[in-house]
Amino acid sequence: MTLHANTAETPAAAPAPRSSSPPPARGTARRSAAGLWFVLPFTVLFAAFLVWPLIAGLWASFTDRSLAKEESSFVGLANWIEMFGDPAVWQSLWVTLLFTLFTTPPLVAIALAMALLTHRATARIGWFLRFSYFAPFLMPVAVVTLIWEWMYQPGFGMINGLLATVGIPGVSWLTDENTVLLAIAITTVWWTVGFNYLLYLAALQGIPRYVYEAAALDGAGAWRRFTSITLPLLRRTTALIVLLQMVASLKLFDQAYLMTNGSGGPNYAARPIIGYVFETGFTGLRIGYASAISYLFFAVIIIVSVLQLRLFSRKEDAA
Amino acid sequence: MTTATLTTAERPGTPAGPASPQPRRRFKVTPGGAAIAVLALFLAVVWLMPLVWAVLTSLKPEPETTAVPVRWLPLEPTFQAYRTVIAQGELMQWLMNSVIVSVLVTALTLVTCVMAAYAFSKTEFWGRKWLFALFIAGILVPPQALIVPLFDEMTFLGLVDTYWGVALPQVVAPVMIFILKRFFDAIPRDYEEAARIDGAGHLRVLWNVVLPMSVPILAAVGIFTFVQAWNNFLWPFVATTDPALMTVPVGLGTVQSAYGILYAQQMAASVLGALPLIVVFMLFQRQVVRGVTDAGLK
Amino acid sequence: MRRRHTPGPGPAPALGRRAFLAGGLAAAGTVLAGCGPADTVLTDRQRLRQWNLFTGGDGARMVEMHTAYRKQHPGIDFQPSTFQWGNPYYTKFTMGAAGGRAFDIATLHVSRLRGLGVGTLISPVPTDLLAQHGITRDTVFSNIWDKCTIDGELYAIPLDTHLIVTYYNRPVCEEAGVLDSDGELVEINDEDDLFEVCAAVKEVTGQFGVVTDTTHAWRPFWSLYRQLGGELRLEGELGIDDDKALRALDLLRRLSAEGLAPKASDGAATPANFQNGIAGLMLSGNWELPTLKDAGMAFGMRPFPGIYGEELGQGDSHCFVLPVRREPDEDAVAAAVEYAAWMLKNSITWAGGGHIPAYTPVTESQEYADLQPQANYRHAAEDVQFDPQAWFSGSAAQLQADAGAIFTGVHTGAVTPETALDRFKRAAQNLIDTPSPV
Repeated sequence: MTLHANTAETPAAAPAPRSSSPPPARGTARRSAAGLWFVLPFTVLFAAFLVWPLIAGLWASFTDRSLAKEESSFVGLANWIEMFGDPAVWQSLWVTLLFTLFTTPPLVAIALAMALLTHRATARIGWFLRFSYFAPFLMPVAVVTLIWEWMYQPGFGMINGLLATVGIPGVSWLTDENTVLLAIAITTVWWTVGFNYLLYLAALQGIPRYVYEAAALDGAGAWRRFTSITLPLLRRTTALIVLLQMVASLKLFDQAYLMTNGSGGPNYAARPIIGYVFETGFTGLRIGYASAISYLFFAVIIIVSVLQLRLFSRKEDAA
Repeated sequence: MTTATLTTAERPGTPAGPASPQPRRRFKVTPGGAAIAVLALFLAVVWLMPLVWAVLTSLKPEPETTAVPVRWLPLEPTFQAYRTVIAQGELMQWLMNSVIVSVLVTALTLVTCVMAAYAFSKTEFWGRKWLFALFIAGILVPPQALIVPLFDEMTFLGLVDTYWGVALPQVVAPVMIFILKRFFDAIPRDYEEAARIDGAGHLRVLWNVVLPMSVPILAAVGIFTFVQAWNNFLWPFVATTDPALMTVPVGLGTVQSAYGILYAQQMAASVLGALPLIVVFMLFQRQVVRGVTDAGLK
Repeated sequence: MRRRHTPGPGPAPALGRRAFLAGGLAAAGTVLAGCGPADTVLTDRQRLRQWNLFTGGDGARMVEMHTAYRKQHPGIDFQPSTFQWGNPYYTKFTMGAAGGRAFDIATLHVSRLRGLGVGTLISPVPTDLLAQHGITRDTVFSNIWDKCTIDGELYAIPLDTHLIVTYYNRPVCEEAGVLDSDGELVEINDEDDLFEVCAAVKEVTGQFGVVTDTTHAWRPFWSLYRQLGGELRLEGELGIDDDKALRALDLLRRLSAEGLAPKASDGAATPANFQNGIAGLMLSGNWELPTLKDAGMAFGMRPFPGIYGEELGQGDSHCFVLPVRREPDEDAVAAAVEYAAWMLKNSITWAGGGHIPAYTPVTESQEYADLQPQANYRHAAEDVQFDPQAWFSGSAAQLQADAGAIFTGVHTGAVTPETALDRFKRAAQNLIDTPSPV
């Protein structure tokens, strides 16, 4: 949720700066100190808890700062050089990308399917459907992982129980190197698809009825109306959701940490990059090195966001 | 403080509650309609199954939980697990902490972001554009990238294991300023001018003119922030190590029972931990949906 | 006992938890009135927050001791918290200690002491205060006391020693003819003895002679290597005796390769394999004792076999440490030290979990001598083989994790001892080259 909600905002803002806001207080503007006082509280917090750690982190990445030492000394690029040669960094980055690839397509496709299935539903059943799809998203991550760890239990869990009824032998979901990330991905889809679903639902309900009615009058069938009206009109929403989702998936930590009991899974098969940052910084005490890896992660997020924004804006121009 | 925020958040949907859901759309029965309904219901069942499983497990006596083969319904349903979990008291304290932290975060976010958004939208001051651009750039910084230096900073400030330490970094959500400013921008200047001619200061204009017209967006921002703070894991997990200060997600995720894993109790704790937001959602579904989509989409 | 907060003038940087909780409670009305923590939080008793990593049998024993402790200390608001063993615990430990206000006393593996910020996160123990409660170097195993002392300062109060030992299934071993006239397992003095005994036991079980956790082969490896007199230098250029290490690894390989031990048996499966009679001997930590006892098994225990000399076994010690505090609180420190002393003096209960109490008046008591089979391996505590010293070494630390992951291949036959040793040396050198955080 953290990951979702936090990200949710991030690029949401970006694609929409073309609002028709009137330039505030044009010529008549009274330059006054009042505005400064109004922005002050937020500015203080912004400076203290975003700008400062950002700078302090950058500085720390050039030192051997440790949680267990008072003093630290400047080590130049040593942390950065170590990072580029550290296989664990690249492995955790790979795990993160793999997770993003596992989760993004179903989280977009299932959300769209859910929205299409429910946006015409009557009030009462619509309430129930929205509740069913969205309720998991409101659950704290620890609750989600407790429930799913319990369901993934090899001996007496529900999933292997269900598989057994159709004759499939038990899978040790969370302790097998080959399935642990997949298991976490499945849980994530269940947990967070509701958010994307709501975004799609809102977008669908924003499509005016008369567009469909006009198309129906022209003799367009349901499928044709879907492919030639709904999908194109949802393009912007889809672009937004894909972007939000990829960034959210890249921020994987909570459920992976909890479902592997902080071990990163067998052979670290489920340790994402944030997990490695956490481990280096807080388990291994190396604040300096962990700060350097944090910056690598930051760079990945920025690169993915920028690439996608460019990709989608180009597509939109073409359309 | 508690009540103040919550009521603002709830106000917009005047006749709120599931009892009076105005039918949003008339449903035309088409041939494909039945198939769609069946498919939608099937998905709903799949999505609800884990929840049902958790609730059923929580109602089992402990030995029944690990029975093989797996049984769905408890043979002898009991509330024992709930009684134990509540009597132990930790979960109740975590719920309390979650309320305190989420209310604190929501209140501070609303106050600071509304003030800042008002300043950007309705006033002119030196450095306005520059500062706004800085805040917008701040949206791009993932909070996850900051945990390590932020923890270091918190140890320096002595805020580790305090409510402030958990709450304050979560207040820095510049996107909320962006959302609110866009809404404020759309409020016609005439209202504001009229009030100013009457001699009202900025605080009065904000309070008497802008805020009353912005209830829906305030509710959206408030709900979104609250949900986010309630379920936030990573930062509270880093910032609190004292179990007496943990929020629900952190407490459930870190503190172990000295007796080992007891599934019925774990599921009972999970159900209780998830309940508050689920109940809020059931009661105020429309407002929550709007809150999430408004803040998420715009 | 009395801990008075004088609310300072002006806005305190950190609004206290209590004040906040009180405010929150008032605001939330009566919803939670009467629920546990709220009323204890507002009392004037001395709060004592203890952190530990004990679950299962150890957890149950600790809860038992804490119940007794509470009964005798009505003036203490005692708040224990259990975290998950291993990294999750140690992560919370360092973060909580760095914050400086999370706990008053915590358990620790003494082997981790040097890696966790002695002096910066862990504060020295006031030995005079401890002595007032009768805990001095004279009343504790001196080898463990010395391990808790760094640069002349005592940083930890040792509760116990725990180490790898030999378990034997009595009926099986009797049938195999490997019990002596007293009904105890015969002494194993060299490789041949070991293979003979294992072969005889295998005859009876039909499957294996001995079982050991193959995913955590560090413990037997280090025991054997130490018996051979091997040393491990973990600074600068790695210092290891290749011949001795290979000999120890080859013994592990042969046990599995010759079918005397399973090729794979993890932490959970190992006691199960012993309990099911799949193997008649087990080389494992003494903490498995309560599980086997509860299962009603007839078994005996003795130290790790002295294959290459003395019966040396790898082990560690659970101890108590005090955090460096943000704001000094002598009352809390006094309560914490008194608690630790109380736990040591009452550690006969703890001994039920198989651990050897560090407090010698307990281990020398008749009550302990009557504990079976604990009393049979008590003397092993005097020469327990701690892990080599380095910030990355010790229980649940990286060196053990790396060794476990590499040596498991020796048992399965996936790698030769030579390859495993090469890999281990590379991993260890890698850790040595990592800049030290302490």
